[in-house]
Amino acid sequence: MKIYLLVAGALFAFGTNAALAHVTLETQEAAVGSTYKAIFRVPHGCEGKATTAVRVQIPEGVISVKPMPKPGWTLQTKKGKYEKSYQLYGETLTTGVKEVDWSGGNLPDEFYDEFVFRASLAADLPASQMLYFPVVQECGDAATRWIEIPAAGQDEDALENPAPGIKLLPKK
Amino acid sequence: MLAVLALMALLVLPCRAFAHAALVATDPADGAVLGQSPERFSLTFNEPVSPLVLALVRPDGTQLSLTSFRLKDQTVEIDNPEALKSGTHVLSWRVISQDGHPVGGSALFSVGAPSAAPEAGEAVDLSLRTAIWAGKLLLYAGLFLGAGGAFALAWLAGDCRCGRRFVAAAVLFGLAAAPLSLGFQGLDALGAPLARFAAPIVWKTALATSFGWTVLVALVALGLALLSVAGPSALRKPLALAGLAGVGAALAASGHASSAEPQWLTRPLVFLHGAAIAFWIGALAPLGLALRHRPAEAKTFLRRFSRTILPVVGLLAASGIVLAVIQVREPAALIDTAYGRLLLLKLALLLFLFTLASVNRWTLTAPAEAGDTEVQRRLVRSIGIEILIVLAIFGVAAGWRFTPPPRALAVAAAQPVSIHIHTLQAMADLSITPGHAGQVVASMIIMTGDFGPLDAKQVTLVLSKPDAGIEPMKRPATKPGDGTWRVDNLIIPIPGRWNARLDILVSDFEIVKIEAPIDIRSD
Repeated sequence: MKIYLLVAGALFAFGTNAALAHVTLETQEAAVGSTYKAIFRVPHGCEGKATTAVRVQIPEGVISVKPMPKPGWTLQTKKGKYEKSYQLYGETLTTGVKEVDWSGGNLPDEFYDEFVFRASLAADLPASQMLYFPVVQECGDAATRWIEIPAAGQDEDALENPAPGIKLLPKK
Repeated sequence: MLAVLALMALLVLPCRAFAHAALVATDPADGAVLGQSPERFSLTFNEPVSPLVLALVRPDGTQLSLTSFRLKDQTVEIDNPEALKSGTHVLSWRVISQDGHPVGGSALFSVGAPSAAPEAGEAVDLSLRTAIWAGKLLLYAGLFLGAGGAFALAWLAGDCRCGRRFVAAAVLFGLAAAPLSLGFQGLDALGAPLARFAAPIVWKTALATSFGWTVLVALVALGLALLSVAGPSALRKPLALAGLAGVGAALAASGHASSAEPQWLTRPLVFLHGAAIAFWIGALAPLGLALRHRPAEAKTFLRRFSRTILPVVGLLAASGIVLAVIQVREPAALIDTAYGRLLLLKLALLLFLFTLASVNRWTLTAPAEAGDTEVQRRLVRSIGIEILIVLAIFGVAAGWRFTPPPRALAVAAAQPVSIHIHTLQAMADLSITPGHAGQVVASMIIMTGDFGPLDAKQVTLVLSKPDAGIEPMKRPATKPGDGTWRVDNLIIPIPGRWNARLDILVSDFEIVKIEAPIDIRSD
């Protein structure tokens, strides 16, 4: 408990710079049952090194994922089984993209870039909760893992490398 | 959150050893603050022990006797019979270790929040200490001068029956000192005052210790020696030989030297050391008395003694040196520890004794055997002084009863501190070796929250000390291949309570962070 308070205090002292330096999503809210355009904002490399790959894990309930290719980057997806089946436009989906990788690129630390995919948010996702997209940012040998998900009741600001997430809104 | 904190508080950490068996860990840890009353306590030592007195001192100073406990290898598990109220409690313990010496100590822990520490000090009972020391000195004198003397009379003295009365008196002294010594041991084991000497529990306790064996074997050895001196002449030699072997066995049954590892080496060495002392020292008094009163008959005695003594002393010195090296470990400990200083004192006395004995052997023996009465008189005087030095050496050796050997101290200092962190997602055993500030090695065993294997991709140890303003120090761990994770060359700058966090990368996209406080010693 004490340490969390302390880390929170330290973050406060550093100001919002720390939060801005995270990998985040541009649109931070979306309704369940809607189409969502995920734009991952990568503000810097890994401790000064240029970014060479960005890998995003697709959480359960995010279906029909279509990533946007980027010039200079090799785009790959890893497909797998969903934990359950989803109905989309009368079609039953049981498998799909579980991970999206942009690799082989070179994004220097001093430059900014965005990585994009479109997906459907399943209608039965729990509204008013957070949905997290863990991201591994690779910079040659080094890596920064934006994969921390706050525990129940834990302040997201207390995390060193929080996974980018969105707040799920009720179905429109 | 409270439950998590309570889990985090379930620490195991070592404390300093107070004496012979070294306390390795207590649960709750010394200084721990618990969320709720613990169901049980445990004490872990560096060797198997058996508990004598276990008590809990409540915050208001009242004592609760803990009678329900189990032994698991080197750990004593104790049931807590009542729900503890908030405040600081003292878990006070007294155990007997393999070397037969009682050890006591206490661990402090708090329920809820610390209160002012209650008083539960270990007072040194000087009169009891003196009694224990004197009892041991007399027992040594009885064994070596008595049983050893009986051997010399039977095997070396030939027809000369000189010194019989002296030897018989020494044996009787030993027979009286042995039970006294046992009683004092019982008192010390229970921490009871001299006044309770006659209480049956004292004797029962003493007999249950390894020193009980020493006394029993010593009594048998002394009995055999007495029979050899006073019994039929046909049985003199075998009885005396059995008595001499008994002296060695009695010494090998308990004590620091016998309980050191490796046992296959130390116990036989102590046996040889004890038997050799008895051979040499036992012969001195009868020889001196023979030379003084019956110089003519003493010649054979002197010749036999001087012929056999060299290999015996060689054996004595060799076994003594090996045992001392095992106990002291490094030369600096000779000066730094009470045990080492007593050893130096003993060595100084021995040097004096050996010089005297060499002069006797190489310059006085030949003329004395030839019948030079003036030399014989000098030899008698010299033997008298030798016996006095020997008694002083016994006194020094009896003093070791109160000093833990550097071996045990080194074990205590090198003890790691360990904590167990248990959360729903993962658990870990973290050990920092040695458990004090300075250069250390951290070793971690990682498992899933339900004790399953967890093949982590990466483990990072993060240490911080918020109260001293030390921000988290991150050290990636390596996998040596034995299922553990290690951080070598870790430096912990200052002692005290640190926060240890393990960042466990379970898979590419999943990380578990678990943390708990860990207490780093200052020495």
